Amino acid sequence: MIFPLLHVPALGDGMTIALNAVVHVLISHGVAIGMTTIIVLFQNLGATGHGAFWEETARTLLKPVVIVTTSVGAVTGVGIWFITGILAPEGIGSLIHLFFWPWFIEWWAFTTEVIILLIYYFLWDRLARRRPRLLMALGWGYVAVALSSAVLISGILGFMLTPDGWPQGGTFTQAYFNPTFVPQFMLRISAGIALGALLILGWTGWRFKGTANERGRVLRLTGLVMLLAMASTAVFAWVYFSRVPQTYLTHWKFAVATSVWSQVPNLLPVLNTVAVACLVLAAMAGLLKRRKTGVILFLPALILAVGMVAEFERVREFVRGPYLLPGYMYANQTRMVRQEAASRQDRPLLPSLDWVNATTDNAPAARAGRALFDVNCGVCHTIGGINDITVRLRGRTLESVNAITSITESMVPFMTPFNGSEQERLTMSTYLYSLANKDTLPRPQLQGEVK
Amino acid sequence: MAPWQDLFLALPLPEIWLRILLFTTFGLHLIFVLLMLGTAMLGFVYFLHDCCSGNKVEMGWNQRMVKSHLALKSLAVVLGVGPLLIIQVVYSLGFFTATGLQAFTWLSVIPLLILAFLAIELFEHKMLSRPWLPFISGAIGLGALLTVPAIFTGALSLMERPGEWTGFAAKTLAPGSIYLPHWLFRYLHVLGAAIVFGAAFHLFFTAGQDTAKRARLRAWMFGGILFQVAVGVPLLFTVADVFNWPVLTAVTLGSAAAMAVAWTLRPAQVMTLTSASIRGGRALLLLLPVIFVSMLAARQLLQDSTLMPLHKQARTALARESADLDRFKKPALETFRVKLATVYDNGATIYEKSCQPCHGAGGLGDGPAARRLLVRAEDLAAVRADREYVRQVVLRGWAGSGMPYFTVFDKDKIDSLLDQLGSAFNLFGPTTVPRREVGEQARELWKNTCATCHGATGRPTPFGLTLRPAPPDLSRFSLQPERSFQIITEGYPGTVMQPYRDLPEGTRRDLVAISSNLRR
Repeated sequence: MIFPLLHVPALGDGMTIALNAVVHVLISHGVAIGMTTIIVLFQNLGATGHGAFWEETARTLLKPVVIVTTSVGAVTGVGIWFITGILAPEGIGSLIHLFFWPWFIEWWAFTTEVIILLIYYFLWDRLARRRPRLLMALGWGYVAVALSSAVLISGILGFMLTPDGWPQGGTFTQAYFNPTFVPQFMLRISAGIALGALLILGWTGWRFKGTANERGRVLRLTGLVMLLAMASTAVFAWVYFSRVPQTYLTHWKFAVATSVWSQVPNLLPVLNTVAVACLVLAAMAGLLKRRKTGVILFLPALILAVGMVAEFERVREFVRGPYLLPGYMYANQTRMVRQEAASRQDRPLLPSLDWVNATTDNAPAARAGRALFDVNCGVCHTIGGINDITVRLRGRTLESVNAITSITESMVPFMTPFNGSEQERLTMSTYLYSLANKDTLPRPQLQGEVK
Repeated sequence: MAPWQDLFLALPLPEIWLRILLFTTFGLHLIFVLLMLGTAMLGFVYFLHDCCSGNKVEMGWNQRMVKSHLALKSLAVVLGVGPLLIIQVVYSLGFFTATGLQAFTWLSVIPLLILAFLAIELFEHKMLSRPWLPFISGAIGLGALLTVPAIFTGALSLMERPGEWTGFAAKTLAPGSIYLPHWLFRYLHVLGAAIVFGAAFHLFFTAGQDTAKRARLRAWMFGGILFQVAVGVPLLFTVADVFNWPVLTAVTLGSAAAMAVAWTLRPAQVMTLTSASIRGGRALLLLLPVIFVSMLAARQLLQDSTLMPLHKQARTALARESADLDRFKKPALETFRVKLATVYDNGATIYEKSCQPCHGAGGLGDGPAARRLLVRAEDLAAVRADREYVRQVVLRGWAGSGMPYFTVFDKDKIDSLLDQLGSAFNLFGPTTVPRREVGEQARELWKNTCATCHGATGRPTPFGLTLRPAPPDLSRFSLQPERSFQIITEGYPGTVMQPYRDLPEGTRRDLVAISSNLRR
């Protein structure tokens, strides 16, 4: 590891990325793709003489869409890059070298998308009056570019779970056009439109300024779009998950429910069914022009939809378990060849670290132990925060900690193997044992007898 | 690309093209950054000015000017992705090291930008309303926005000074270090450029025919140019150690163009400005890009002169390491193939992978990983216990021993593991109770000695539970007679269960019978 390594205390690396990424996905899918597509649809209806209220609705919705997309959506998108660059420079660096061109092209799609959106927004009033057809074309141009941006990124995201024959063959096409490429972008686009429709349903029920008849027509169309998009989401989610190797997929319940809740049978299937039912009802309320029902259902439906987005991203990220780039690099940024070399030839890790965090511990052995922990385990475990290693190891004896660190990959299917020499493993185990047993007072052995 | 090559060695383009691409894309990004910063700064200054004078008409124009911030900042952000992508390929070592050393500062860019953008939107939206709301939102927005270039210049300044990395990481920058003054002047230089280019942008696009506004913007440009000279000279001194001829050429060209701009803008002419077209407008349109490109080139050349040799070195080291590791690619691929073929969704696999390393294939507690355990892994083949009790052991581990807990498996998986344990070792079968008459001595012994920890009914006493590891609940967990006899005779190594080989064999056998009778 030639780069300085940072782990986020308390929150942990994964949660930090997740918080940023889920906000980004909600905005990039739900607002930038979903809401905007429906806004363009409304503008088309208005421009082709189906009623001026369509255009007014579209115009009112566009301003918050533009502000949220460019202020929060775009920044959190770049944010994913910033955070992964800090937390996993070897990982993101490897991905960038492999997928430079898709990312470069996606950058231009992204730029074009923003430029068209700005033109669409700033020239709306002028074009809507003089050249409505041009405005329509601009709108569909935006949708096309926004969709292409989602398509371009899907190849890379898909690769991280289903690399196809890339580890063996090593060609770009194997990596990029992998089995989950198509279902994933269809899934993302469909879900984005469904989410956008839900947001517009909520807004229409709450803030729409127009006659009841006009409101009803907006609700009906948006409800219909949402139902169709949800059906499509369901189909492609099924195709997507059917293409994820069973090795990974089998961990999905633990990925979402974590230790405690994954012992409750059927919790997740029931929760997911409730969420889908609530969303279907919200869409049906729109379709049937039930304004009040829609308003009541909106908030629970939105919360459940956000939950499902988070659930999907969590499963996708988590189940690939020990790998960051399957067949090439472990989640802790250790290349698989490097780990093989370590385990076969007892190669030490510390001499290859250019940077070691020297601020936490003073004793040389503790510093080494901490460095080994940071490199090997720190990507998932924190000390004193989420997935706390001292809690995980509480109650274990020193020699058993050392035994556990020797079989991590086999014992827990999504844990990475230790990278380093046997002596280093003992150093790390000793450090972790002392951490887990810090400040633990021996309990009274006999009560009330000794004076 | 050859399979399994280290991905960091695979460049998408020859290095020279990547550097040209970096220069171009960074230029595109920077121009919009300057316009965005300039617009925000000028907008806020004009707001304060018009706010104090209570001029509503002028304020309307300010609002129009700040409105362009939405477009400028959007483009600044999206265009920033390109150079970010390229710099991570061409200068991966320098970039990841510098940003990694300033990690939390670097990451704060994200919340700062979101805050700045939303606050400035509010500033623009509410500018014509009561002044306190636009003032507060404008001040917060501008403050957050101006922090971001400080972070960026800080990271770039550090990136270009590999010699300072170690000192920075140890937080002991030498007193003579040029890093801090360089950072300060560089940051100020960016702000000065933002004023010049932002004012120029609005001179051409927002001011319209209004001569008073033009004069104001020209004055800002002129002042900005003077400020740039004042900041630029010390900035040059901070990079004196890496100065070279190409850099000198670019800086000279840029400075000459800046002087020409200053001449075009000189205040004497502003006074006599009357014509509809912008005086000296063409000259400005020609000279400003020259300043921008040549100064940017100087920056790039300085960066390259330090980072290129460093990166060459890093790539050579990486290539050597990669060649050395090449022979492990076959075993690594084999490991991956086996991993993909192993599905932890059935008890047999989970036992083999998660339990067998210690408990052994036959459940005898003789797995390779258990060899050095002080408390040996239990001989599962000798256990007869209640299913729910074993589930609790699997889910909670056994404190004081090596037995970890396995909540990493969901309930279905735990169930199938328990099924496997039941079928492979008859773990949940009935306890074998030896048929014998238990003597009085053994009963007394059990009551007075064994029950101290194990409890009279087999449920550990409060004292027993303080032990690490604590004894099992013998009313729900039992061992086959031979194993019990072995433990009573030899003790349980690693626990407080001591050997009782001094007792007559008959008594020991009686104790086995007692303990076997506890499980119901």
